[in-house]
Amino acid sequence: MPRNGKLVRIILVLGAVAVAASFAVTAASAKRSAGSLKGAGSSFVAPLVNAWIAPVNSDLGISMSYNAVGSGGGVSAITNKEVDFGASDAPLSVFSPTCSTCVQIPWALSGTAVLYNLPGAKNLLKISGAVLAKIYMGQIKKWNDPALQKLNKGVNLPSTAITVVHRSDSSGTTFNFTDFLSRVSPAWKSKVGTNTSVAWPAGVGGNKSAGVAGIVHQTPGAIGYADVAYSTIAHLNVFKVLNRAGNYIIPRLKNIKAASALDTHPAKDGSLSIVNPPKNAKYANAYPISTYTYVDVQKNSANAANLKKLINWAVTKGQAFGPKLIFQPLPAAVVAFDKKQIAKVR
Amino acid sequence: MSTLDTTTDVARRPLSGRRAHLGDLLLQGAAGLAALGAVVLVGLIAYKIVQGAKLSLSTFGLGFITHVGWDPVHLSFGAGSFLFGTAITSIGALILATPLSIGIALFLTELAPGGIRGPVTALVETLAAIPSVVIGLWGILVLGPVLRDHVEPFLHSALGFIPLFGPPNSAGTGIFTAILILTIMILPIISSISRELFLSVPGELKEGALGLGTTRWEMVRGVVIPYTRGGVAAAVILGLGRALGEAIAVAQVIGAFTGISWNLFNPGNTLASMIALNYQGASSGLELSSLIYLALILLVFSIIVNIVAQLIVRRVAKRQGLAQ
Repeated sequence: MPRNGKLVRIILVLGAVAVAASFAVTAASAKRSAGSLKGAGSSFVAPLVNAWIAPVNSDLGISMSYNAVGSGGGVSAITNKEVDFGASDAPLSVFSPTCSTCVQIPWALSGTAVLYNLPGAKNLLKISGAVLAKIYMGQIKKWNDPALQKLNKGVNLPSTAITVVHRSDSSGTTFNFTDFLSRVSPAWKSKVGTNTSVAWPAGVGGNKSAGVAGIVHQTPGAIGYADVAYSTIAHLNVFKVLNRAGNYIIPRLKNIKAASALDTHPAKDGSLSIVNPPKNAKYANAYPISTYTYVDVQKNSANAANLKKLINWAVTKGQAFGPKLIFQPLPAAVVAFDKKQIAKVR
Repeated sequence: MSTLDTTTDVARRPLSGRRAHLGDLLLQGAAGLAALGAVVLVGLIAYKIVQGAKLSLSTFGLGFITHVGWDPVHLSFGAGSFLFGTAITSIGALILATPLSIGIALFLTELAPGGIRGPVTALVETLAAIPSVVIGLWGILVLGPVLRDHVEPFLHSALGFIPLFGPPNSAGTGIFTAILILTIMILPIISSISRELFLSVPGELKEGALGLGTTRWEMVRGVVIPYTRGGVAAAVILGLGRALGEAIAVAQVIGAFTGISWNLFNPGNTLASMIALNYQGASSGLELSSLIYLALILLVFSIIVNIVAQLIVRRVAKRQGLAQ
């Protein structure tokens, strides 16, 4: 009994402390907070957005929350005005019904890496988009296929079977990857196409980037894809991918930056594709599966003033948080374009 | 028999005093409201699901149920391969889990020495408390590679003449992995209910059988199993319900292949995992509606399973009543 009484007292004290602490926190945040903004969407951009939450609170006094439900979920949430901003790796035009009253603003820049697991082989083997499309269509089944061997002269590739790994959930990363394959392979474009999820002709699916990386990690002979940030964390081998200038390019920041030189003609709706840039000395070192990811907001928003402050901050100061998370800071031209887009929100 | 009669007698006795009457009314009202709430909730869910599936229902009609394929780019959807995946994984898991869990329950009630009953019971029940996402992750990282490297090649070489045991899958994710994961998840449900049932068998009956000179096995077969058959059947159906609806762990290990493959080692997909994987990211209204159509099929499927279960339990109970 005495022991019980002591326990009860401890619990009461802890409870009182917790209540007091929560009051203190609420009071403190109420003092500073000029408002709160809710966002949802892409899990690809989530590490960057999460890194923004604390500085946005201290710089702007806005408390921001972000729910990484995936690009499609983000677009449907902003379309139905359930959130203040949605984030998507795929442009709005991909979704139907799409958000016709939204403004689309590119706010981060990164890429998709092609991963592999081949025991005995070194990192940074070479691959081309055409061969990758054939692998994902199940037409190239072995590592020592002449097409793959031809790209990797001097490397003795084994006869290991290739296991194709793709996302089993729908995802903006899949959009980027299939967008690239559609642009380099007419067969892929007509038979499979580009979307956040597609009817995969071959392979096994993994749930989210972690699932894909997990299967690639466990499966000798596997080839998969994930966003560059994730592939860096997962310590998996990545391919150098052939660009149209004829160079094999590593998915690193400077090469994503090289791809973003193709930023001069953003489409009217705010979408900006830099996948597979044209053959041009300017893009000699461009990583061909680089991509912008977007924030989508309603033109008429109840929180317009805070929303404008937040996005202005994100495309300027916020970019400094990018490189550590393998996001390339936006080029000046895109920032200028973004500011014009932000002005449409009221 | 006599104890039962006294309880009904007490319940039937008219309540005296206003306080008791008020309490009675309150209880009746609250309990009735709770029951009504459950019914209304199921009704609303069904209504919402039919509403959401309307677009897909009017586009594809009933052909959706058997059509094999899921192509968000060309907007062609069908439930065929997921129905197949749901059926094969659930049935497979039941075939493995039923004898195993009954064995566990028998061991714990009839065979295990007193000292280890408690800990083993607790451990088996802990299995039910592991979050499905953790079991799924374990499936990818631990179980999958073991199956791929050891179990699948062995089964293929020993039983390869049966189409179910085709060439092993290189990734270790597939229908077979999903079946084993589901087995682990439904095992504690069936075994803990069966254990309770076996404990409910009157000691006199068991002792009587043993006294007549039966062996332990004959006693279990002749007394324990017949006495509890209806309840065990219900426990198995409960396990089936769990297997049908499990989404996350299956989604992690089944490999998301749209199509029908009789080789258990190939990837597949189920209704529940398809919905879980794609619901948040559906890129078109028609795809979203088709996913809800899948949910409708799953709902109808579960209702049918439940009705069949009720029928089985009732029949077994009836037969048991006749036998006694």
